[in-house]
Amino acid sequence: MMLQQYRLDNTALKATDALKLLQSERAIIEADGNTLAVPILLDNQRKGYIFHGHAKLLLDTIVETKEGAMGNSVEREINEPFLMLGDTEEILQHLGAPNKEDLTAMGYKDEQEFMAKAEDLLHKFGRRGKIWGHDCCSGNYGIIFAFPNETGKLDILIADCSRLVYKAMDRVFIASKSKVILKTPNEMILSSNQKSLMIRNRHL
Amino acid sequence: MSDEMKEEIKKLREEIANLKEQLMDVTEQKKSRGIYIDIGNNVRHYVEDVMESVTEGIHGELERCILIGPKGMRIVRRGEPQREEEHVVEANFSKVSEVMSALGQEYRLKILGELIRGGKYINELQEKLSGITASTLSSHLKVLEEAGLVVQEKVRGRYLITMPGRVAYKMALRITGFVERGSQE
Repeated sequence: MMLQQYRLDNTALKATDALKLLQSERAIIEADGNTLAVPILLDNQRKGYIFHGHAKLLLDTIVETKEGAMGNSVEREINEPFLMLGDTEEILQHLGAPNKEDLTAMGYKDEQEFMAKAEDLLHKFGRRGKIWGHDCCSGNYGIIFAFPNETGKLDILIADCSRLVYKAMDRVFIASKSKVILKTPNEMILSSNQKSLMIRNRHL
Repeated sequence: MSDEMKEEIKKLREEIANLKEQLMDVTEQKKSRGIYIDIGNNVRHYVEDVMESVTEGIHGELERCILIGPKGMRIVRRGEPQREEEHVVEANFSKVSEVMSALGQEYRLKILGELIRGGKYINELQEKLSGITASTLSSHLKVLEEAGLVVQEKVRGRYLITMPGRVAYKMALRITGFVERGSQE
């Protein structure tokens, strides 16, 4: 088993302008300017960030079938710290040093307080188990996001050029070029090449 | 004990000692600060886990009896009576009224008629429904969305007819067909 150490950088940063963290056919994640950030390092190389600012998630968790569409879109303001792994270089160009006002605007009295909160999130993410790999967040392998939800657990979104996986409290959504699966507490629907299967049951 | 066996035991002892050493290294690493993540498994495994949980759910459901009759396929849980008691559901007249009034407008029916052929952007709908302004079209779409007959993809912006929307549209056409035939008789 190979183990790698992920850790946070020692310095906090902030977005100098609005960041488009993800834009795909089904999902958009944007963060406002002045969003605080701290790089996540692996062997002293930036592999991602923990952000805290005003961000927005738009995600179409809709399955189209011949019988009509099922599901809806997720439209969520993210005002809690969230984690992102992947595609760091482009983002780095839009990051600069924060001042005290940037930190106080997000409710922190100093940089240490922000770093401690970011560290908590990284630990929580690490505790999810042995599912994360180096390969998944480098080059063209895709991007991972982790957002704390109302229960304090993490909603996970993984996206690469053609696939998307979203696992949240109330739904699991998986989309590839030809297949889409949506599972909610009440129903499950699979759509593949114009064929679809829907199971609606009190046990789902 | 033969020399061969003694040699074998010696090798095994060496191997155990090596493994112990490796285990000590990992434990030492864990004691220092940082998050350790098993990179032997990549994101594909995570996706597979999620897929597995979804397919397990499907298998669980399909393990129950599948009844095929004149009305189509019906899945019944094992141990449950094959035909459940019909439940008399109190009609939610306010919701019924909302859905029916969403259907009760010519443009809205035309919108559903267009969307039943496939998802469309608002400008495509405007082209198809000649003589309608963008703001009027938006307000009709909002009514249909609120009634749950149409859903908009927030990322792409396309409008799609929902399953209930499709049923409602077909039902409206069918009722009209009955009424027309009735008035001719």
